Amino acid sequence: MLLLQLIINGIQVGALYGLTAVGFSLIFGATKIFHFAHGASFAISAYIFYYLYAVLLVWWPISILASCFVVVAFGVALDRYVYGPIQSTDGSFFTIFVGSFGVAVVVQNLIGTVFGRGFISVPSALSKSVELAPGLYVAPAAGIAVVTAVACFVGLQLFLGRTNIGIALRALSESSALVRTFGLNPKAISTCAFALGSLLVVPAAVLTSMTSGLNAAIGGRVMLISVAATIVGGVGSLRGAACAGLLLGIAENLALWRFDPQWSEAVMFLILFAFIVLRPSGFFGRVATS
Amino acid sequence: MIAYLVNLATLVCINAILAVTLNFIMGYAGIFSLAHAVFFGVGAYVAAFIALQWTDSLLLQLPAAMLVAGLISVALALPALRVRGDYFVAASLGFQVLAATVFSEWKSVTGGIGGLVGIPPASIGGHAFTDPVEFLALAGVTLVLVVVLTATIVRSSFGRSLKAIRDSESAALAFGKNVALIKTLSVFYSTAICAVAGVLYADYLSFINVESFTIDASTLFMAMVIVGGIGTVWGPVVGAVLLTLLPAALTYLPFLPRTEIGSVQQMIYGLAMVLLMIFKPDGLMGIKRGEA
Amino acid sequence: MGRLRKVAVLAFSLLVAFAGQASAQDLRIGAIFPLSGANADYGDLYMGATELAVSHLNDAKVLGGKLSIAYEDSQALPQQGVIAMNKLVNVEKVAYVLSAFTGVSKAISTTAARSHTVAVNGGGVGPDLAELGEYFWNVIPLANFEVRAMAPYLVQKRGLKRFVLVYVDDPLGQSIKRELESSLAPLGGALAEALSVPSNAQQFSGIAARVRDAKPDVVYIASFGAQQSQIVKQLRDNGVTQQLASYSGFAIPAIASLPEAKGALFTTQRIDWNSGDPVTKRFTREYQTRTNRAPTAYAANYYNAVLLFGALASALQKAGLPVTGENLLAKRREIGTFDLVGGRVTFEKDGTIRSAMQINEVDGEPAVVEIVATP
Repeated sequence: MLLLQLIINGIQVGALYGLTAVGFSLIFGATKIFHFAHGASFAISAYIFYYLYAVLLVWWPISILASCFVVVAFGVALDRYVYGPIQSTDGSFFTIFVGSFGVAVVVQNLIGTVFGRGFISVPSALSKSVELAPGLYVAPAAGIAVVTAVACFVGLQLFLGRTNIGIALRALSESSALVRTFGLNPKAISTCAFALGSLLVVPAAVLTSMTSGLNAAIGGRVMLISVAATIVGGVGSLRGAACAGLLLGIAENLALWRFDPQWSEAVMFLILFAFIVLRPSGFFGRVATS
Repeated sequence: MIAYLVNLATLVCINAILAVTLNFIMGYAGIFSLAHAVFFGVGAYVAAFIALQWTDSLLLQLPAAMLVAGLISVALALPALRVRGDYFVAASLGFQVLAATVFSEWKSVTGGIGGLVGIPPASIGGHAFTDPVEFLALAGVTLVLVVVLTATIVRSSFGRSLKAIRDSESAALAFGKNVALIKTLSVFYSTAICAVAGVLYADYLSFINVESFTIDASTLFMAMVIVGGIGTVWGPVVGAVLLTLLPAALTYLPFLPRTEIGSVQQMIYGLAMVLLMIFKPDGLMGIKRGEA
Repeated sequence: MGRLRKVAVLAFSLLVAFAGQASAQDLRIGAIFPLSGANADYGDLYMGATELAVSHLNDAKVLGGKLSIAYEDSQALPQQGVIAMNKLVNVEKVAYVLSAFTGVSKAISTTAARSHTVAVNGGGVGPDLAELGEYFWNVIPLANFEVRAMAPYLVQKRGLKRFVLVYVDDPLGQSIKRELESSLAPLGGALAEALSVPSNAQQFSGIAARVRDAKPDVVYIASFGAQQSQIVKQLRDNGVTQQLASYSGFAIPAIASLPEAKGALFTTQRIDWNSGDPVTKRFTREYQTRTNRAPTAYAANYYNAVLLFGALASALQKAGLPVTGENLLAKRREIGTFDLVGGRVTFEKDGTIRSAMQINEVDGEPAVVEIVATP
């Protein structure tokens, strides 16, 4: 029963990891920007929701909408005013990385100053588990996590497959020259990638604020997991990132079955390490082109 | 006050050694590692272990630390260097997290999170470096040696091969360079000298624990290199000086509320990195593209 | 450009440092608290108490000059602590430093011993803190006493025999584990499972499953700061309904206001807030009006640490001796017993104190449920 419980926990956590990772992968794949501040987006989204819903007692759909709005604005603003200028002068992988890292540091400390550095959580009945079978506890949040993750992912695939801008977005990850030849503006598409990618952190941020709770430093871990999932899934493969997120979540929890808890993070990164060395093209074997 | 400046200067020297060695692989070999703090830690733990178990002699601690760090790095570099760019960064990230777990779990050697306390001061030929000024001299001389040695290597034929590989691996390969060997050697050199900084750090603070060797430390070292100017001789040193002194200098700003000093420091540090990358991406000591 | 700026910064800092030097009679002590980072809550709590003590000492004019405290931020990290300690010893030239957190305290103890600076801990409770040399003092009873008070109460009075421990894998957590292992067996209890968590972990749903699987009567949590709140909430959310217990780490407002923590039991040293002695009375009354918080053991400890310095320094001044680390240590050994908040305190040979313990229940504000006499 412990095993089943750990797998279910893993799916709940992994679904959210997957969703966040897809956001990162979308941005990274389409723009080649190593968006280290993706974790900061997560923290911003979670704290905005917390502040509106739990402190100002705003109705939840409005809180979530406001959170979406702010986080999209944050992502797009970063693309326009930080990454854009860096790309126009230099644009090397590491220059962008350092700039993005700086943003993440600023956001984390700003959140700490504004909302406090301690632990906060959004009180909600959704995080309270019920005993489904003897010894098997599942919270409504688990179901919501899985359903939301699947819905978001299907929606994203439809968007990328059916709409012009979606197709352009996919094309951009192949070649920006190609996109320009077809008369599309890579800048506008890049903005779109940031908007979508940032939007995808909201479900995970809102649910995490209810289940695990938040602290100002939460972005760093989210970021590490997104990077790991993106690589394990294969850069540019959204399907891969989603599956890898799920895999990492399950692995993290399954590790508890036999190991001490402090090894569960190490297990996740061991998987990352193994994938890079043995199968650098990721889950679905798209050949890396760098 | 002098003693405090000496303390800061010693930390600056140690950080500068780290930045110079990281710059060696980042700037000249094009290997972006987010695991530099691991080898810093390996050096520190080896030194502390030897000092606590056997001897405080620096002449024994240094070669042992360099050898251990160098061998570990080579063992990892051989498989990992086959992949390029983003993947290597991610691999080093994974390695950094794994190593931090090992540092905090291998308690018989590392003391876990509690760390190792009361490491005796280092000595050479029976002379113990207990006086902070003497230790600063030791760290300073080491830094100068490291800078000179690194600059010499960069200018040698080995250094030219490195830069050739950085600029185009396939071209270097076509010219008959043994790319794998050259890369592995440069990683060995970088991590071995990095371990020297670890030895100095352990002997100086007389306390080490895992918190000094985490991903945060690795990113800080990387920031030093980038802020100062990647691929330059003096850039990493300048970066190390600035980023080490910034927090200390900020504590003297009287108008900051006490509970916010830490956050404000971090915010300025983050903001400085963002602005620098936007307006001067080559770093403070950076030269125009194409000259390196 | 960068170099120029650096020189300017240094020159500026020199200026500030010299301008800050006060007249010879004034006394300055240091404090290394977590003022930023995840444990800043504690630093905030400690500072309220130390500031109150400073104002009391200055009002009473027992010292020749004005007393002030130089605060440094440790972020509860050992390395930051060492840098802060070096600064306090070498720049501020203090002879007496208040310290907090087990890891930080251990890290600064070498500098304290080498520079003959007294370091006083009022918050960290790792039992290793008793063995850090003669310049390291503790004004808080260490965690081994806490476990020895809690275990018999839970086993014998509540009939809770099967323990599961969730602990942070640091010196404090490890010592609580050792202490539980050794004290449960003679009582007829058992430590069914000990689950260690990394200090930066935030996900505990899997841990909760392991805890449930071990079928405990009581879950003992040994963590601190933001993390212990997260553990409590996630255990409760994930079907762990058993009694929760902890050490004095729970004595912070964040736990008192966490709905999931209601009913949890934790130990602190015994302090009778309603006692008649004037020191305790004054502290209780003024701490409440000044900070709008109920007094806690932590606050009392740091208030006591400053008061202790006041007593020692004024005795030294009367004897015409300079206030140095050596003299403070000699004076403490000479006097031995002090009137502090919570009553009369006697130092052991190793620089620690013993005290009666109390067991508190989290219920909005903690309420005392049991008093355990001095061992």
